[in-house]
Amino acid sequence: MGDKIKWESSMDSALARARSERKHVLLDFFNPG
Amino acid sequence: MDAVTYPDSKVVSFIGENLIPLQVQFDTQPLASDFNVKWTPTVITLDADGREHHRTVGFLAPDELIPSLLLGMGKSCFENERFNDALSYLEKILADYPKSDSAPEAHYLRGVCRFKSTHDPKLLKEAYEKLSKEYPSSEWTKRAYPYRLL
Repeated sequence: MGDKIKWESSMDSALARARSERKHVLLDFFNPG
Repeated sequence: MDAVTYPDSKVVSFIGENLIPLQVQFDTQPLASDFNVKWTPTVITLDADGREHHRTVGFLAPDELIPSLLLGMGKSCFENERFNDALSYLEKILADYPKSDSAPEAHYLRGVCRFKSTHDPKLLKEAYEKLSKEYPSSEWTKRAYPYRLL
């Protein structure tokens, strides 16, 4: 695997990938400070 | 999380292999309202239809985040009545992260999944007995307390 997490930034694209790859979604709400 | 947990190599590998990671700012609308986010970090496990199954609020170290995500996937499978899939996630927590904060709930839910699969109430009693022995002060041991009578 790569050395960084490859974050999605849109729910639609994350869910589309989740359906096609048969995976769950990790949704992280963060505060950039 | 971005400084310590997400850069961890075990976390990067685990997420890459098991999950689709989606990161948004806490005030991103409509997601922040839809998920009622009030504090950060808030980490939520969703199924592929966007339904929430598990959330944590606050920092998690790598050895707590991974079992928490496994628990989230296990709960998703349980709530979709995929008990064998749920058991595989839950048993991984118990095998690899038995000291984690997610382990007692995994024990409890494992007992429930096994009962739902077999309708054998002894499996619930067994879950209570293991919880009371290994996690005597856990809230999940208290929640399983009635099963001692089965």
